Amino acid sequence: MRSAKDAQGSRLKAQGRTAVAFSLQPGALSKTADLLFEIGTEELPAAYLPDLIEQLGAETRALLEAHHLPFRTVQSFGTPRRLVLIARGLAGTQRKPGEEVRGPSKQVAYDGAGKPTKALVGFLRAQSGALGQVKIVASEKGEYVYLVKPPTAIPTATILPALLPQLVGKLRAPKTMRWDASGVRFARPIRWMFASYNSRHIRFCLAGATLFNPKSDQFFDEAKIGVEIRLGIWSGATTRIGRPQALREVRVASIPAYFQTIERAGLLLDQVERQRRIQQLVTREARRIGGIVAPEMLSHGLMEEVTFLTESPVALTGTFDSKYLALPREVLLASMAKYQRVFAIEARGKLLPRFVAILEGPPRKPAAVRQIIERILNARLADSLMFWTEDRRHLPLEQMAAALSGVTFHERIGSMADKAERVHTLSAVLEKAWQLSREEQKDLRRACQLAKADLVSTLVKEFPTLQGVIGKYYARHSREPQEVAEAIEEHYLPIGDRLPKTLIGSALAVLDKYDTLASYFAQGIVPTGDQDPFGLRRAAQGIVEVGWKVHRPLPLERFFGARSSTDPFRTAPQEERAATGERIRRYILERLYTFEWPKPAPSRDIIEAVLASPCDDLVDAMDRIVSLKRLDGDPRLLKAAKVIERTCNILKPAEPRKREVDPARFQEPLEQRLWALYSSKKEEIERLATGKSYAEATRLFGEVFYQPLHEFFDRVMVNVPDESLQQNRLALMQAINTLYTDRIADLSKLTVLQH
Amino acid sequence: MQLQQLIRTLDTFWEREGCVIVQPYDMEMGAGTFHPSTFFGALGPKPSRVAYVQPSRRPTDGRYGENPLRMQRYYQYQVLLKPAPDDVQQRYLESLRACGLTLEDHDLRFVQDDWESPTLGAWGLGWEVWMDSLEVTQFTYFQQVGSLDLDPISCEITYGLERITMFAQGIADVYHLTYGPGATYGELHLPSEREGSAYNFEHADVELHQELFERYEKDAKRLLEADLLMPAYEQLLKCSHTFNLLDARGAISQSDRPRFILRIRTLAKGCAELYLERQHHEKR
Repeated sequence: MRSAKDAQGSRLKAQGRTAVAFSLQPGALSKTADLLFEIGTEELPAAYLPDLIEQLGAETRALLEAHHLPFRTVQSFGTPRRLVLIARGLAGTQRKPGEEVRGPSKQVAYDGAGKPTKALVGFLRAQSGALGQVKIVASEKGEYVYLVKPPTAIPTATILPALLPQLVGKLRAPKTMRWDASGVRFARPIRWMFASYNSRHIRFCLAGATLFNPKSDQFFDEAKIGVEIRLGIWSGATTRIGRPQALREVRVASIPAYFQTIERAGLLLDQVERQRRIQQLVTREARRIGGIVAPEMLSHGLMEEVTFLTESPVALTGTFDSKYLALPREVLLASMAKYQRVFAIEARGKLLPRFVAILEGPPRKPAAVRQIIERILNARLADSLMFWTEDRRHLPLEQMAAALSGVTFHERIGSMADKAERVHTLSAVLEKAWQLSREEQKDLRRACQLAKADLVSTLVKEFPTLQGVIGKYYARHSREPQEVAEAIEEHYLPIGDRLPKTLIGSALAVLDKYDTLASYFAQGIVPTGDQDPFGLRRAAQGIVEVGWKVHRPLPLERFFGARSSTDPFRTAPQEERAATGERIRRYILERLYTFEWPKPAPSRDIIEAVLASPCDDLVDAMDRIVSLKRLDGDPRLLKAAKVIERTCNILKPAEPRKREVDPARFQEPLEQRLWALYSSKKEEIERLATGKSYAEATRLFGEVFYQPLHEFFDRVMVNVPDESLQQNRLALMQAINTLYTDRIADLSKLTVLQH
Repeated sequence: MQLQQLIRTLDTFWEREGCVIVQPYDMEMGAGTFHPSTFFGALGPKPSRVAYVQPSRRPTDGRYGENPLRMQRYYQYQVLLKPAPDDVQQRYLESLRACGLTLEDHDLRFVQDDWESPTLGAWGLGWEVWMDSLEVTQFTYFQQVGSLDLDPISCEITYGLERITMFAQGIADVYHLTYGPGATYGELHLPSEREGSAYNFEHADVELHQELFERYEKDAKRLLEADLLMPAYEQLLKCSHTFNLLDARGAISQSDRPRFILRIRTLAKGCAELYLERQHHEKR
């Protein structure tokens, strides 16, 4: 995002300048060399690193291109203590094409005596130009002064000291800090920098805003040199290597020497290689103790995190007390992955009381390190076991649910108990729409009451990501039906690509998300751009995904009807209420544009066409979209679309005042014929549409009306002076149009019509 | 190395680094950051180097003496360096060596932890220092204190004294540590840890403390009005601890929590501003 914006910025600045072609002397570009730049830091957060590495590569490419410095490849790497950039085959000379910069008008630039004015002198000074380089160019707007800048050729080595600090300044992190008087901001303190071009050190200084003048490529504000220069962070001829407790400074003579130093220290610079190594280490250790890595460890993102917590990974295997295997699997995994960053091991689907830790470099006394990690893991698991035991004293889950009135959902919206009650009210909609059995109804209502109860448990306070999971275990403990227990866990889905598997879980997932959306929308809290602090976009997307998976009706209007009987809608003015309801419905339907459709995915215009028709049931709308997509390329779809387009065009300026067609008013046989076709096929098309045979309905509609409608338009005038005649013909057009568009889609939106 | 020797060693080390060694503040507080030497020391332009032990109260962390690592009252060793020296990480590692730890024998890591005290309106960026996966130190470059931006930036190093001693003595359970000649940590602290947990979780008088919070807060405001900085700050400390106690008693609902925190933070900001105002006058 950022780099795109920057590129735009520099394009804007370039306006008013014209590039002048210049010819390169043969062989002038042949001298290239490699650039290495290492930013040495105190430990960067693992979560920031992937993005920082990506930015470093992208920003370098952009910067080099913007400065007319061709290169062969740019690669970027990172570890907790360094970000490294290597640009191969970087041109040895910056060749800037000449350019002409427009200045003031001739009238302003010269006084009556033909002498340069202050305006011209100022312009030349700002552009570092001379009077001899000025020419006058006549244009439509009058005569203007132009500065003709000759092409330049500057050695790359002299430009880099200004470019590299700019590069550092472009790197963004979620949180940045200052740490010394330089005023430089970065994710963590920068403690050294090493840069080498053509294996010659580049010396430069990274400093606060006062020293850096981004307008010119000049780095120092000369007036300030000597006063503030000591405040900057200087690049040097050394790097630092070793484990954090033994970091040592090493002089580096050349770029090959740099890579040698890194390699000899056992340091894996390349994050991809490092992750592969960790994967190997963990798998090998797991196999050695007769197991495999618990598959959830990968979805926890632990592999990636550990990759960015080490630069010289080694593995260490240990054991924990098997009595903790009594804890829920998810709790064990969270304790190990989240707090201890060690990998859990399983055999035949059951966890072993073992773990694999990834350390930074080989420890001198591995047995001692293992013992301590084991103790700490045991103490942590003891704590989890205590929470688990403590919570179960407060079961049944119903009793925990009673405490939800003390848990805030949102300050302006109310407590979690209020939410549970509203979701309970909403459940009536799905009971009806999904024709749930008495048993299912009972389970769903129960699940609504208990869904959030685990939020008051000590285990969820300790492991917030286990909300729902803990609820499932406690529901089982409270002898709730299995369906209720499952639904409690599943109602937080989708997460990643996991979707609810059970019917009750799907229902609860939809209801809870709908309530969340409606509650925030009612407060005017609506996602905008990339601002969506309450995850409303995800909630709406979740409704769509679950709806598609479960494939049962989701009547959005009835949802809102039920929701609006509760606060804050109950007391809201009717008009405002209706507007919010419509906004929510639209918001959910708009997610269809970003939904991951089964392949081949429908194009945007098909979705638009369906959404332009009445859409109450979300899932039905999705069915219509998929049916139309299947008709892609069928000539009958095009025929149907033409019928809709032509009727639509004639109706656009003025809809008929009444809908009824009066056959007694027909004058032309072609009118009669259309009406007869309409009357005879109407029921069949309606029946097909009601039966969700949308493709068939579309084919039939196209077949029946395409030809006769064309002939009608060829010979019959609709907008005739006789108003009642005109009204009757418009009504006929509308009848044909809405027979399809009221039920399936407004095909006039299809782009195929434009070809 | 006994725990009391460890304290002495750190005192000596940081004294050599130019720190004033002050004494623990004689009031209940959640962490060494609440000690005026840090809270006020980090504010304003005046350089400062200070180190001290601060007994810290975490009512919700009580485990009736049954967890070998978690306690409702323990010791922090706190160092504040303003401005933060360039080699502060190295100085810190040196201090661990001074404590007799052979760092090469361990797996040492600086793991991201962006420290924040919402009640003090203080936050910073830094790490938990992990030794063989146990957090032994909190290391923070303060960015704000009392909701005010800092310049110069201070570095705060907070050692978990018990945990470091556990490493130094090779002992797994905090209560088995040797504190001083002939005394284990358990002998000195286990009874109070058990009773403290019982008090925090079961016996503390909720109504009394709710009332106390209101009155301490009111008093702090009154004292700020009266231009009495330290007395006002001390009322803030009382508010903060009372809040923590009420929290352990389960008397603060999720919806009340942000409001309580905001009330304390408002006092902290008032104190910080008054302090800076005075510094400003002194300079003149």
